[in-house]
Amino acid sequence: MNAAVRAAALAAALATAGCVTANYGHTSFGEPVDDAAFAALVSGEATLADCLQALGAPVRVFEYRVGPTGESGMVLLWSWRDEAGWGIDVSSGDDAIPGSVSFDAVSTDLPGCVLWFGPDLRLEKARKGTLGDLLPRRLRPSAAGEG
Amino acid sequence: MPTFRSRVLPLLLLLLPACAFARQDTNDPIDATVVHTFTPGKTTARDVTAALGAPTEVVQLGKRTAYRYDATTQKSTVLFLLLVNFANQDGRSDRLWVFFDEHDVLTHHGASYSTHRTQYAMPWEDVHEAADNQSRDAKRPGVGK
Repeated sequence: MNAAVRAAALAAALATAGCVTANYGHTSFGEPVDDAAFAALVSGEATLADCLQALGAPVRVFEYRVGPTGESGMVLLWSWRDEAGWGIDVSSGDDAIPGSVSFDAVSTDLPGCVLWFGPDLRLEKARKGTLGDLLPRRLRPSAAGEG
Repeated sequence: MPTFRSRVLPLLLLLLPACAFARQDTNDPIDATVVHTFTPGKTTARDVTAALGAPTEVVQLGKRTAYRYDATTQKSTVLFLLLVNFANQDGRSDRLWVFFDEHDVLTHHGASYSTHRTQYAMPWEDVHEAADNQSRDAKRPGVGK
């Protein structure tokens, strides 16, 4: 038996036992915002209606710059996912040896765009990039009962 | 006379490849023809909830409010081979945001419809082809042009 056959037999044995598996995966969720439609939105001119017409419904809406009289602007966020990549899963295949290891060579940060509107619902600014860069870091909410 | 190899190899070949398909739906798709009846300045929050039911989320925006309606369809395909698995997940949503003033009268609304575009596919296929989207849109009332 030559070396290639032995290597193939070993690989087959490992895979059959669920020890080592290579994965190629593609995940898409949602649809990217149209670049031309986004570029056509002019800060200081475009209204909320214009932006909704051009980009469709956002994924999230947030309150923004609440004034003393209760007037508020808003922030609209669009995000999507379209990633492909290889991964490897390694597991023991034996209950006596717990645990498994997996590796995915895909990004964890989502692309997206964010639009900021003042209380007059006119576009103040628009940004495109990854959500981690576009949005401030979330803070852990205070514990129940705290003031 | 068949040998051991000639018996076992075809059996192995039959067992090695396998496919799996899965579909997961969250909420019913949003009826675009109903959304077209909403008129800013006239339609109220009561009208919207009567037509579409309870929203998924309500967001306070100062004196204004916004309601989110959504539905999601996700289709997954996996091809299992001996050493390599190929998997694809395609998820799309219908989303509707309706914005109300302090008197609960509709001021704006924005909608996106794409649950019907979700596809079973292999990971190397393009699931966002414009022509494909258009043909699927044409079959959905209120969405196709």
